[in-house]
Amino acid sequence: MPRAIVLDPGDTVATLIDPARTGEAATLAGARSGTVTLSADVPFGHKIALADIPAGADILKYGQVIGRATAAIPAGAHVHVHNVEALRARGDVSGRAA
Amino acid sequence: MSGATFLGYGRPDGSVGVRNHVAVVSVMDNCNPVTRKVAEAVAGTIPVTTLFVRGQLGRDLDITLDTLAGLARNPNVAAVLLIGLEAAMTEALAKRIRPSGKTVASVVIQQVGGTINAIAEGTRAAARLVREASRQRRADFPLSKLVIGVECGGSDTTSGLASNPAIGVVADRVAAAGGSVIISETSEFFGAEHLFAERARSPKVKAQFLEAVQGFEREIMAHGIDLRGSNPTPDNILGGLTTIEEKALGAMAKAGKSPLVGVLAYGEAPREAGLNFMATPAPAVESLTALAAGGCQICLFSTGVGNPIGSVVSTTIKVSGNRNTVDFFADNVDFDVTGVLERGEPLAEVGGRLGDYMLSVASGELTTSEVLDVRETCISRFLPSM
Repeated sequence: MPRAIVLDPGDTVATLIDPARTGEAATLAGARSGTVTLSADVPFGHKIALADIPAGADILKYGQVIGRATAAIPAGAHVHVHNVEALRARGDVSGRAA
Repeated sequence: MSGATFLGYGRPDGSVGVRNHVAVVSVMDNCNPVTRKVAEAVAGTIPVTTLFVRGQLGRDLDITLDTLAGLARNPNVAAVLLIGLEAAMTEALAKRIRPSGKTVASVVIQQVGGTINAIAEGTRAAARLVREASRQRRADFPLSKLVIGVECGGSDTTSGLASNPAIGVVADRVAAAGGSVIISETSEFFGAEHLFAERARSPKVKAQFLEAVQGFEREIMAHGIDLRGSNPTPDNILGGLTTIEEKALGAMAKAGKSPLVGVLAYGEAPREAGLNFMATPAPAVESLTALAAGGCQICLFSTGVGNPIGSVVSTTIKVSGNRNTVDFFADNVDFDVTGVLERGEPLAEVGGRLGDYMLSVASGELTTSEVLDVRETCISRFLPSM
């Protein structure tokens, strides 16, 4: 069974430390226990959503904000550049506070 | 590693080298061909090159000369041979190296009559300096004599979970023993600087650190730049890193948990022992060059998806916690910390072993970037040439 690490109890994502395929249940370790069923193939080292994340919500890892969801992300989905954007050093978005 | 010592080379200024190189140093870009030929001809030398100096002005010239001088003053360098085009700039650089007390010889290409004579004279001078340097013996020195740089390149999510925290354990031990640690790469604090700033020993250091990071972000914003075009890099993203904030929160772990005692400019040496931050660009070669100029004898370099590069002057140790990289990219990995994620090995134990390995390297064990000569120098520019 693929394993996924949660770094802080408040995190909304887990990091896979094994590759995982659609339909597999990833075993959570670290700050959370239990399993999350994947809705996509996700490579080693990539992140999955621990619960449904609404569009526009902060993404939390290390107990800190690492970005914002650009689309609704269902539990078990791959969380990456296709559905999360950085908030810092975004000179392309004028006038937006960090 | 507690109470441990390493076998190093004592220098006239009280610093201690972990290597005994003779540095052949280009005074400017047009000297590099002679520098490389001399360094190829004489075993025991390293080439220290620069792509500029000619045409540089003001602060930009000062940073380049100070960085070149810092590389030459690095304790890993026993003696220096400058390769210059003309006498004035050669002397300007020599003057910045002499306070170290080490021998500074020079060959001026215009004065010796061109390339062939410069290579011949440089080769003779370098040969003499290497034979002299080889008379020195290693002796026991305490950890307090170490200045280590902590760097990451080709990062992925394992960097923040395994290799960076393992390096952080070593960083804390060096700092606790009275040595120095330098963390760099200004933009790789975006999203983590609020946590790191809390470790500043004084309000002044905290303000200096925050200004270095947030001032740089303001500059990026003022140029209308979207950092996502550059950082995380395409290989970082393949490795699972999604945003600069995620990368920064993992990168910070390299610095352990010690208090932040100082904020340094590009290539500047620590004024005080302990954990220092140096403002540098994020790319590894530019950052390693600055760390080496700041006096780091060793750089602990964490890699996730695999970045082979090392510093010419500062012995570079590649650490990875990614099983695929440790297996597939093995030629360029010095230390395997995959046990952290694969077997849940405690970071204190893994970091302890990494510290012991670092002391063996400090005492003479060679690293992959040294034996394969995967080493490069790049001094950052801050203004255009005129």
